[in-house]
Amino acid sequence: MMVLRRLLRKRWVLGVVFGLSLIYFLTSTLKQEERTIRDRTLLEAKDSDHRIPWKVRFNLGNSSRQMTQCRNSIQGKTLLTDELGYVCDRKDLLINGCCNVNAPSTRQYICKSCLANGCCSIYEYCVSCCLQPDKQLLLERFLNRAAEGFQNLFTAVEDHFELCLAKCRTSSQSVQHENTYRNPQAKYCYGESPPELLPV
Amino acid sequence: YIVGFTGYFSAKARSLYINSALRNGGDGALEWHIVPRENPASDFPSDFELVHISQPSPNSLKTLEDHPYIKRVTPQRQVFRVLKYVPTPEPAAPWNTTRGKQKWQSWQSSRPFRRTSLSLGSGFWHATGRHSSRRLLRAIPRHVAQILQADVLWQMGHTGSGVKVAVFDTGLSEKHPHFKNVKERTNWTNEKTLDDGLGHGTFVAGVIASMRECQGFAPDSELHIFRVFTNNQVSYTSWFLDAFNYAILKKIDVLNLSIGGPDFMDHPFVDKVWELTANKVIMVSAIGNDGPLYGTLNNPADQMDVIGVGGIDFEDNIARFSSRGMTTWELPGGYGRVKPDIVTYGSGVRGSGMKEGCRSLSGTSVASPVVAGAVTLLASTVLNRELVNPASMKQALIASARRLPGVNMFEITHSCFSSLLPPSLSPSYIDLTECPYMWPYCSQPIYYGGMPTIVNVTILNGMGVTGRIVDKPIWQPYLPQNGDHIDVAVSYSPVLWPWAGYLAVSISVAKKAASWEGIAQGHVMVTVASPAENDSEVGGEMTSTVKLPIKVKIVPTPPRSKRVLWDQYHNLRYPPGYFPRDNLRMKNDPLDWNGDHIHTNFRDMYQHLRSMGYFVEVLGAPITCFDASQYGTLLMVDSEEEYFPEEITKLRRDIDNGLSLIVFSDWYNTSVMRKVKFYDENTRQWWMPDTGGANVPALNDLISVWGMAFSDGLYEGDFSLAEHDMYYASGCSIARFPEDGIVIAKNLKDQGLEVLKQETAVVEGVPILGLYQTPSDGGGRIVLYGDSNCIDDSHRQKDCFWMLDALLQYTSYSMTPPSLSHSHSRVAPPTGTEHPLPQRLEGNHLYRYSKVLEAHLGDPKPRPLPACPHLSWAKPQPLNETAPSNLWKHQKLLSVDLDKVALPNVRAYRPQVRPLSPGESGAWDIPGGIMPGRYNQEVGQTIPVFAFLGAMVVLSFFVVQLTKTKSKPKRRKPRIKRPTYLQQQQQQTTTGKTPTV
Repeated sequence: MMVLRRLLRKRWVLGVVFGLSLIYFLTSTLKQEERTIRDRTLLEAKDSDHRIPWKVRFNLGNSSRQMTQCRNSIQGKTLLTDELGYVCDRKDLLINGCCNVNAPSTRQYICKSCLANGCCSIYEYCVSCCLQPDKQLLLERFLNRAAEGFQNLFTAVEDHFELCLAKCRTSSQSVQHENTYRNPQAKYCYGESPPELLPV
Repeated sequence: YIVGFTGYFSAKARSLYINSALRNGGDGALEWHIVPRENPASDFPSDFELVHISQPSPNSLKTLEDHPYIKRVTPQRQVFRVLKYVPTPEPAAPWNTTRGKQKWQSWQSSRPFRRTSLSLGSGFWHATGRHSSRRLLRAIPRHVAQILQADVLWQMGHTGSGVKVAVFDTGLSEKHPHFKNVKERTNWTNEKTLDDGLGHGTFVAGVIASMRECQGFAPDSELHIFRVFTNNQVSYTSWFLDAFNYAILKKIDVLNLSIGGPDFMDHPFVDKVWELTANKVIMVSAIGNDGPLYGTLNNPADQMDVIGVGGIDFEDNIARFSSRGMTTWELPGGYGRVKPDIVTYGSGVRGSGMKEGCRSLSGTSVASPVVAGAVTLLASTVLNRELVNPASMKQALIASARRLPGVNMFEITHSCFSSLLPPSLSPSYIDLTECPYMWPYCSQPIYYGGMPTIVNVTILNGMGVTGRIVDKPIWQPYLPQNGDHIDVAVSYSPVLWPWAGYLAVSISVAKKAASWEGIAQGHVMVTVASPAENDSEVGGEMTSTVKLPIKVKIVPTPPRSKRVLWDQYHNLRYPPGYFPRDNLRMKNDPLDWNGDHIHTNFRDMYQHLRSMGYFVEVLGAPITCFDASQYGTLLMVDSEEEYFPEEITKLRRDIDNGLSLIVFSDWYNTSVMRKVKFYDENTRQWWMPDTGGANVPALNDLISVWGMAFSDGLYEGDFSLAEHDMYYASGCSIARFPEDGIVIAKNLKDQGLEVLKQETAVVEGVPILGLYQTPSDGGGRIVLYGDSNCIDDSHRQKDCFWMLDALLQYTSYSMTPPSLSHSHSRVAPPTGTEHPLPQRLEGNHLYRYSKVLEAHLGDPKPRPLPACPHLSWAKPQPLNETAPSNLWKHQKLLSVDLDKVALPNVRAYRPQVRPLSPGESGAWDIPGGIMPGRYNQEVGQTIPVFAFLGAMVVLSFFVVQLTKTKSKPKRRKPRIKRPTYLQQQQQQTTTGKTPTV
């Protein structure tokens, strides 16, 4: 014990102790900072190594087939989009959940209110636009590059319609400073990029 | 006799003690025996015993009391009476049969009485208030699911199976013994764990679905655990958005959110909640733990489509912590909605502990899962799940709560979901004469010329997610009930989406009733239409009509001097902007967020003015929009808004014509404002206040014409004025005042100096109160006071309602209070030439939140003056029929969803209420990614300090660690490897520390 004490009193030992702890302190604080930065950008970070094991089945060319039962977007105030990409007024919804194709206002694959960057101001049109068959490539590219934060959501999605319903919803990508939209006018996006940031 | 012991002893020991005590007394002739108690508790140790003593002498009782283990001896009769009034339950202690029996009997007798009283329509709260103390003992030892009679449904085989319940909380550990059907756990936070590190999420999940020990409501329901709250209680809107999206995708049925915050203007969040309910997710949320202050409802529980849950204790009193009052979204122009929708047990509820076992917690976050669990169980009983939706569930809850409020919400279960429910209204009738249920409406009768009374009714439409009101609501006055004496205007949501909409009924008195007194009645008929989903015919609509009975009390228009107008239009609050607190000492509550309305945080002041006979009305429009000749005094308290130039001109003219003005200002100091900026963890932004406590520069613009101004001083302190103790909490002083006015000055602490430099200095003779009679003929009077805290309910320490009375006497009747005019503290009015007046903080963003300013190149400029609100009165369709009085006798029972109850006296015993203490149950109810998480004002300065301290701690820790790790090998090495081992040991033995290998 005496040896130890004597040893401890030596200047170089203390120096080493101090140096080590200082190094540890600095690295740990730096690491923590890194971690917080990473956490904050968790959703923006696009990790090229990481891929979501998505299992979406795009059934192409089936839009002409007769559906007996349709899923639709349920939530709309006045409009609804069915799984074939038709947008119609609520009053034009058939009992099987499909839009009445013969109603004058019903449109298929309509991109009304959507901007070039793939963001729309009306959710139902975003879904309809996203259901366009030629959007499949875009969606696949998005799924392959989607951030880890969306893993839960997009691995649970099973087909094109569900994907579009989920993709068009506002999400963590839609906000700035948490409590404001990046772009309150066009906040529903089927595309890859988040809504364009509008200046305050 | 009941013999109380000093501790808990077994039956044998108790009898031994009594035996020995009575024997020692030497009174051998005494006949006594212990009354046996047959209840499950008799096996456990108890702290009392029942002894039957025939013909006791005072002496023998005394000897009994003298025994060291006997605390007291009391005749049993007396105990019963005491208990009736002061029950001090110890949940752990077993109770006496006799006591229990007595309770039981009287309780049973009270039960039918309560029922009949309800059906008779007498106030429910009176009934429970009287009998509440009895139910307590029975209720406490049982679990909340049993109290709410969930076992009835369990026995019928309904246990919540097939219903997907999402718990948005702090997570849940994987192998918790209480849960059998956890379908999925997901994490949405930045912490890489799914487990609950706080216990809150486990508790909430337990109340909903625990299957053993502390039973939850729906043990077979499918649990989806969403971890959206970190162990540090951090949570962001964006996490919620993603998690909610997942919940929609997973087709969750019931979602419990025991989290909330005041930011109802977090549009992404609010929109998302709408989206969620529009997708048929029944959302149950806690109303908040910010009571008993009014105007403290939390979002999202305050939304129409969400079931907002408040807390009561086991005595059916609204729990003290439960947030209450109207919603404040609608201010200043409109009037708030009634919330919460339902109240249930939220105090001392038992639920699952973090790892195992049970614990009790209090808070509205506890009450919320009680309802969520009940909703889940209810939903599982319904065969046709299509009929269950957020609106119909809420309707069912409110309807059932009506029958046996808060206690047995299961009585209706089946009948309610046999078909689509017609739309219903909440509140379902407007009876402005009924107190206390209809507080504040019942507190002030209406009269001709007053501001219209607005009642904001919520339409719940269970027919479909969207709906609309067909044509226009129809106003049908009952002629025999003087219905033609009132005018009614109705505004409503153009589309009822999702599941709900508002129906704002403005009531005003017709001119012909200007001097009439009496009761007027009528009803409003609303037809709601929703697209028919199950109709084979395309474009079919379901329609349904609801009636909203109205009953009001009319009095003749009171004289001008009795009428006070409260300026609501110029109050701004959080959200949306950072409007700092009015009392700078309250560091944990940095925001001015209660709405500053006479029915929220100025409620006490309102009640006081009413009791003094004043009639108080609210101005929700610019000053240009009222007839000043009707009012005696305009009250402007803690105004943050700017003024239109037209308003300034109009007010001058009004005051010349006899209107009086009372201004309660507050602090405004740009240096302090810069100092109270903070980094908001949730929005990840620095928050800089846009005004001080009040907007003093704007007020100065308003009053400058009379040669008055407030300063940018910041003062604080106790003083006494006219023999009243007063407290000045962060107020400003009067900088200029006309020389013939009365000015009162006091010695106060310079709080500005304290905030900025941490120095204390007392300033002598700070002018705080000024009274002035304007010179023009018949001109009004103006009163200025530098601090609003003494009439504000939030953080008030000492009220100054007496002063308000005196000031109103002065403004309304021109009676100068002698206590002020002859006060020792009266000083010469300040001319204020030496100090410049406060200027607006440069670069403030007030224009973003202001109704007056708009952004402009350079300085923001006033907008064009908006048109005054115009009500289009509904064309009456008089009915010559008598009001169906029984209609709302039935509906009257809807007492539970309100907090507007004069609480039966709050008792000393308060079960485990821990409102918002960090780390405790309440604490979760603050943030929700909505409210700023940390209010660290001095972040800039404290970081280095923390870093330094941290460095020191780390350093010392490692020094210790290193000495330890070094000492061990040093000790062993020589022993094992070196031959000097013996020497070493020799040395060490001399020091007296022999290592034993």
